[in-house]
Amino acid sequence: MHFVRYLQHWLGGTGAHLQVTDFVPVMHPIRQWADTFPWAALVSAIEQSFDQRFPKKSPRGRRPVPLRVLFALELLKHELGASDEDICHRLRTDFAVMYACGLRDYQVNPSQAHFVLPETLCEFRSRIDETLMDELIALQAAAAMEAGLVSPAHLVIDTFPCEQGSQRVTDATTLYKAQKKRSS
Amino acid sequence: MRCFGRQCRGHGHVFVKLVRQTEQKLLALGEPITALGQHAQQLLAQATALSDATRERFAEAFTAAMRSHAHIRQQSTRLIHGQKLRHCKLVNAYDLTIAPILKGKSNCPTQFGRKPGIMSDPATGFLFAIRVPEGNPSDPSYVLPLLDNVQKAIERVTTPQRPRVHSMAGDLGINDTALRQALHARGILTVGIPKTVAPLTPNPSPEEVLDILNEAGLNRQRTPHQVHLACACGYSRPVVESHIASLLSRGAGQVRYKGHPGAVVQLGMTAMAHNGAVVVRIRQQRLSKRAQKFRRLLGLRHRKINEINNPKN
Repeated sequence: MHFVRYLQHWLGGTGAHLQVTDFVPVMHPIRQWADTFPWAALVSAIEQSFDQRFPKKSPRGRRPVPLRVLFALELLKHELGASDEDICHRLRTDFAVMYACGLRDYQVNPSQAHFVLPETLCEFRSRIDETLMDELIALQAAAAMEAGLVSPAHLVIDTFPCEQGSQRVTDATTLYKAQKKRSS
Repeated sequence: MRCFGRQCRGHGHVFVKLVRQTEQKLLALGEPITALGQHAQQLLAQATALSDATRERFAEAFTAAMRSHAHIRQQSTRLIHGQKLRHCKLVNAYDLTIAPILKGKSNCPTQFGRKPGIMSDPATGFLFAIRVPEGNPSDPSYVLPLLDNVQKAIERVTTPQRPRVHSMAGDLGINDTALRQALHARGILTVGIPKTVAPLTPNPSPEEVLDILNEAGLNRQRTPHQVHLACACGYSRPVVESHIASLLSRGAGQVRYKGHPGAVVQLGMTAMAHNGAVVVRIRQQRLSKRAQKFRRLLGLRHRKINEINNPKN
């Protein structure tokens, strides 16, 4: 009986809330990294920009995924070198990723295969424009300057090339690849 | 078949005959677009039942369709009539989302992509601003927009003593007289930007310091100590390379998102993730000796707050 009660939340689908902070040590790299961001200011800037550019037309519908979660996932994706799918899967299973996303309570629900779909992350990304991106970087820099961690007194500037990651498939490239395959 | 670029750097062949066949269909299909687009725009102006937002959306779609056809026609003219193309200029004639980069490797895969500019703190590598322009503009054109972004960040600081930009360092590419004058007008020293390939002086004599201040016209704004610091953190390729390497390790080497807005988002997020890692390093005191000394000189010493609050005695 005790054993069944112990596993009740796994069997029944709901159970006690788990504290995410209990599972992520203070010295965990993702926790330390996540604690450096001024989340409140960043999320507020995103909300303000989205409200102006994409006003809500109807109050109906399911509640959206919090912007804090989506934004943290997007940043984590680059920090960990993961793909959209990978990072969304890790959010379901990795407590450190949950911590970075600002989730402090976790209630087990085995029927829920995912918290955030990769498509949702892609949709969020497509709403970010250049002005907002500049503002976010400025907010992060301002927070670091206020904390006395960095100073803009002496700066260095440079450029670097980034190659095009993927190119569209055209008839010419398809034929070229076919010819190359045949010759090899 | 026409070949672009050097043979030794891989095959850069484009099958002109095939492209011609494809584009003839595209051009035939899109021929009436200009006339139809103009007619539709006239009708759109007369349609009073539509809301302003809808009308604007339709107008943008029509303009984009007309522009797209014009682009194909222009590239087609270049390709068919045997007009010689510029070296490394074209790999996919009709893709609007890619931008050429003439610098970097010659006729290698990096010839197309983006050329972002970064403005960072030389001691720690913290990025204050990043800019991803369209196409491949000249290097000096990056400086003032990036500096404006840094200024916006400074304006957000609420502490009584607001930080200021004292000096700017860059490579020989941004050695531009007009740019130097613009920076001096903002009270920024340009000792870190070399004028020749000769190495910069890390320890200037008092006379040289005076010359630098006189040349910039900043006698009353900048102190000799600041000039010494500016000379010490002049442009150094290994320092900048380390900042770029950190960005590349976070996926900035390849633009995977679509178009210019995608590149802006990807590189912006990469820069923010990098900044987070830099702050962790600063908090943990994992900095080079040079960086620690530089931070000390700037008054950014690491304060052991816990030890002050809980003295041992």
